[in-house]
Amino acid sequence: MDIVLIVQMVIVAILGAGLYTIIGIAPGTDETAVLAPVTLVLVISGLEPILILTFFIAAIVAKKLTDSIPVAVAGIPGGVMSAPMVDHAMVLKKHGKPDVSIRKMASGSVIGTIISIPLSLLLATALVPLADVIEQYSSQVFFFGAIFLALMTKNRWFAVLSIVPFAFIIQGLRHAYWELGIVPEDTTVFTSFFLGITIGPVILKLFELLNGRIRRNQPRYGTKEIAMRKSKPEKGFPNPFKILDKNETISSAVSSVFGVLTFFMSPVGMTIFLGEMIASKIKDPVKRAARAISSMDGLTNAAYLAGTLVPLIAIGYPLSPTALGPGHALFNAPPVFTYEHNLHHILSMNEFVVATLIGAVIAISITFFIMIKYAQPICAFVFRRIPHEAMLGLFFGLVLMLAYMDAGVLNIAGVLVIGLVAGFLHRRGVNYGVQFMTLYAAPWLVGLIF
Amino acid sequence: MSEQDKKENIEVWEDLVNIKDLALGLAICSVTSLGGYLVAPEGQQPLIFGLIGAVLGFMISTIMIQPKRNFTYIDEE
Repeated sequence: MDIVLIVQMVIVAILGAGLYTIIGIAPGTDETAVLAPVTLVLVISGLEPILILTFFIAAIVAKKLTDSIPVAVAGIPGGVMSAPMVDHAMVLKKHGKPDVSIRKMASGSVIGTIISIPLSLLLATALVPLADVIEQYSSQVFFFGAIFLALMTKNRWFAVLSIVPFAFIIQGLRHAYWELGIVPEDTTVFTSFFLGITIGPVILKLFELLNGRIRRNQPRYGTKEIAMRKSKPEKGFPNPFKILDKNETISSAVSSVFGVLTFFMSPVGMTIFLGEMIASKIKDPVKRAARAISSMDGLTNAAYLAGTLVPLIAIGYPLSPTALGPGHALFNAPPVFTYEHNLHHILSMNEFVVATLIGAVIAISITFFIMIKYAQPICAFVFRRIPHEAMLGLFFGLVLMLAYMDAGVLNIAGVLVIGLVAGFLHRRGVNYGVQFMTLYAAPWLVGLIF
Repeated sequence: MSEQDKKENIEVWEDLVNIKDLALGLAICSVTSLGGYLVAPEGQQPLIFGLIGAVLGFMISTIMIQPKRNFTYIDEE
């Protein structure tokens, strides 16, 4: 590996960490919605594969570090993953300690990252023999994965029943495009459908707003009041092992190990389950909250890294919620990456290790440092200056453009259809995992019936 | 500020927006992103132009639209 490439890796890691430090703070930024489109664009733009992985790892570590900030200071989850932490963070906030929250969460994240990287690499190596079998039956694996994930949701029978009709809509659109000659017969429109699912809940909401009656019945609010207690700036370089006490360090480490081992499960579910289990034995509310948020943050970070790295290194198919969601473009982003030719096939084990390490180390050193030192001014800037409308606009614009790129004007309508259906399903409790798995299994499933 | 107190904002995706501003933001970003992609000169990567458009749209919307949050510091006692 030559020095030029390493310098480039460092640069993209800095860019990724910087960008997602800011995005992570903005409230309501779903991991899939903010990471998938940008990664996808980088892949399609033809950036060197190893640089893409470095960027992604740096981005995800930074995002997971910073999305705890709005939770701590305002009780607003900075993403889906930080939602389970809101209750505990509110306890600390009530006791006037939002800065303690931030430091504990960030330190938990760092421990999660440190533990998950070597463990994921080991686990991936152990799973390599399974890869051939999975590759042969990937559609079936996705189909049963969709059923499995559907059964794990609250509204399980609705979720299970939605799989086949949703697959039909997806294949129906593809056949229409082939029939009309919009795309060649051997091209399967994928990327923009994927994004349609991702942004589905927002698309549904936007369409509803076009209906006057629904619009008038929306609950109205003034402005969102966010108050923050000014805290003293931290001195010197922060050390996560000093910020956490011994028990917190141990439970963060233990939950991180669980996060890696259960990489194929929903990280949100695991976070709630393990976090509550670890914290339930402690009586003092402040200590319990501190223990819970540091462990939870460790776990989400570990689960995210393992969920990306293990399927990527061992199998080459996105068989975890993280790989299906935010990391998806690393597996499949035609025409650059396909299941027969993606990072799994292109990068060697050494390259995986180097890219992951550079990405993670840079993201931790930049983001952790900045976060502990300047959490407050950064939050203030984002809350005061970045309107939510601009964020929604940005993602909507990206989806439109990528839809057009995939299959022309008609596909904008197609993606809206997918988005509306996906948004409806999402609202009824059919989560992204089920929908993404259905998207993968659709050609096989529809082919099976006809 | 008084205009905001009239309770006009609704919640989309976990945060508050004003419907008119939202329409404006969506319109600006859609035009700049798609526009950027479409005006890309022959032989160039249209995606890059689309991306530049998207970022530009984001910046324009950020300047034109006020966030619907009221942020204050509480002084430590």
